[in-house]
Amino acid sequence: MLYREAGQFKSSYAEDQQIFPIRQDRIAMGVLLAVAFVVLPLAGNEYWLSAILTPLLIFALAALGLNILTGYAGQLSLGTAAFMAVGAFMAYNFVLRMPWLGILPSFILAGLCAAAVGVVFGLPSLRIKGFYLAVATLACQFFVLWAIQRIGWFTNYSSSGVITAQQVVILGVPFDTPARKYLFTLTVVALMALAAKNLMRSETGRAFMAVRDMDVAASVIGIPMMKTKLLAFAISSFYCGVAGALHAFAYLGTVEPEAYSLELSFNILFMIVIGGAGSILGSFLGAAFITLFPIFLNLASDWLQNVTGIEIQHAVVSNLRVIIFGALIIFFLIVEPLGLARLWQITKEKLRLWPFPH
Amino acid sequence: MILSVENVSLAFGGVRALQEVSFDVQEHEVRAIIGPNGAGKSSMLNVLNGVYHPQTGKIRFRGEEFTDMESHRAAAMGIARTFQNIALFKGMTVLDNIMTGRNLKMRCSFLHQALWLGPAKREELEHRRAVEEIIDFLEIQHIRKTPVGRLPYGLQKRVELGRALAAEPKLLLLDEPMAGMNLEEKQDMCRFILDVNEQFGTTIVLIEHDMGVVMDISNRVVVLDYGRKIADGTPEEVRNNQRVIDAYLGVAH
Repeated sequence: MLYREAGQFKSSYAEDQQIFPIRQDRIAMGVLLAVAFVVLPLAGNEYWLSAILTPLLIFALAALGLNILTGYAGQLSLGTAAFMAVGAFMAYNFVLRMPWLGILPSFILAGLCAAAVGVVFGLPSLRIKGFYLAVATLACQFFVLWAIQRIGWFTNYSSSGVITAQQVVILGVPFDTPARKYLFTLTVVALMALAAKNLMRSETGRAFMAVRDMDVAASVIGIPMMKTKLLAFAISSFYCGVAGALHAFAYLGTVEPEAYSLELSFNILFMIVIGGAGSILGSFLGAAFITLFPIFLNLASDWLQNVTGIEIQHAVVSNLRVIIFGALIIFFLIVEPLGLARLWQITKEKLRLWPFPH
Repeated sequence: MILSVENVSLAFGGVRALQEVSFDVQEHEVRAIIGPNGAGKSSMLNVLNGVYHPQTGKIRFRGEEFTDMESHRAAAMGIARTFQNIALFKGMTVLDNIMTGRNLKMRCSFLHQALWLGPAKREELEHRRAVEEIIDFLEIQHIRKTPVGRLPYGLQKRVELGRALAAEPKLLLLDEPMAGMNLEEKQDMCRFILDVNEQFGTTIVLIEHDMGVVMDISNRVVVLDYGRKIADGTPEEVRNNQRVIDAYLGVAH
C-alpha cells in the first residue's frame, strides 16, 4: 500500500530519467545511505566493521567491475582476481616509490594499470566469444600471478613475496581504525557505484548492452565493435583494480599474491550469478549474500547445537557451505538467471499493485 | 540519384549469390527488390550496408564511390536498416533500443557520462526528445519502458523500424518489414513506410514477398533470380514481364 507512484507526475524527461524515478525508492536509498555512513560506524563493533562490512563492500566493487564486463557487455571473464592483484600491487608500488602522490591518485593510477592489463587481455575478445574468451582471460589470471611472484620489483624484493600495505593517510588524517577504514571504503565504493550507474544509463552502457545482445546489429547501427569491447574491458578492470587496492590497503594490510587466486575470480563470478548479471544492485546483493551466508550458517549451526545438544563439527559446516553454494548457483542459473536483483525487481513490481492486482 | 550499384558480384566459395547486378535508386523513391527464395535479395542489402563484401563491382552512395564498405561506416554515411529476423537488443527497453539508434550523434566522452555532468545530461535529454518524436510517430508510447523481448512480433518489427529511423538515415533498407504479419499489421506498416518516405523524405529500399504490398507502395522494382537481375522497372512493367512470370511460376522444360 505504501509503495505507489500514484500522484507522482513527471513533467520533464530529466525527471523521468532519474536513477530512482519513484519517490519511495529515493527515500529508501537516503535511509540506507544514512545507516551505512552514520549508524553503522557508530554502532557497529570492530569485528563487524573490519571483518565483514569492509570486505563486503570491496567484493561488491569487484563484482560491479566484473558485472560491467560480463553482465552488461556480455564478455565472460575469469581474470577478475588478476585485475585486483594488479591494482593491489601497483597501488603499493606507487605509494612506495612516489609517496608525494598521495593515496587517492595512487589508487587511480593503480586502477589505470589494471585497465591497461585488461585491455591487453581483452584483445582476444575481438575474435573469440563466450567459453573460449573465458579461457583466454584464464591465461591472464595465471600470467599476472606468475609475474607478481617472479618479478621482485612488484613486491619490492621482499624475500617472502609478501607486501605490507602502507597506512592510508588523506590530508593528514590517518585511516587506521576499523570504523575509518570502513568509511574510506564506503565512500570510494559509493562514488564508483554512482559513476557506474550513470555510465550504464547513458550511451556507453547502451552500447555495451547492444554488443551483448546482438553484435551484428550493433555494428550495423554504427557502434564500433573494437572500441566498445576494449572500453568494457578497461572500465571493468579499472573497477577491479581499485577494488584490489582497497582490498590490500583497507582490509588485508599484509598481502600475498596467492590471495588473488583463481578461487577469488570464481567467487566474484558467483556473486554476479547469484546477485544478478547486468545490474548494479545485483553486484551488491551478490557480494552481501556470499559474504554473509557463511556467517548465517555458523550462527544457525551454533543455535542448532544449543537447542538439540548435538555437536556439529566445523568441518561439516564449511562443507555444507560449499554444497549449498553449488546448489544455489545451479538453482539460479536454471530458475532465475538474472539473480537476486531480478527477484527484487519482481517484488517491487508486485508491490506497486498489491493488494489489488487488477 | 542517391545510390547506384554497378556490376556487383558476390560469391561464398562456390555459391554465387550475386552476379553482375546493377541498378540505381533515385533520391526520395521507394525501391523494391523482389525475387524467389534464394535469389540474393538479402545478400544485396548486406552488400549495401557493408555486412558482406562483394568480390567485384562498385557502389556509389551520394557521390562517394567504394567497393568495400564497413558496416559502421555505412551507418555513419546515413544508411540504416532493419533485419529479416528481428535484430533488436532483447534485454533492453524499447526506449533504450531506439536510443542506441542515435549513438552516432552522441559526442560526450564516457567520463562525462560517468559523472553525469552538464553536457552529458543535456545531450542525453536532447536525444530523448528526438526519440520521443519517433515513438509518437510509430504510436508505441505505451510500451516505451517495456523490455523488447516481451513484445509481440508485430510491435518488435515496429520498434526495429524506430531504431533505424532514430539515426535519421538518408537511405533506409528494409528486409522483409512485413514478414509474418497479419493484414492489419501489414497495413499499419505500409502506412508507416509511406509516411517516413513523405514526411522525412527518406529514400527506401525494401525487400518484400507480399506482391500486393510491393505493387502498391513502390515506385520501381528490381527483380532478382539466382543472383542475376532479370527485370527492372515500374510495378506495372515488372508484373507483365515474361521472365519474371517464368521465375515465379516456373517454365516447362
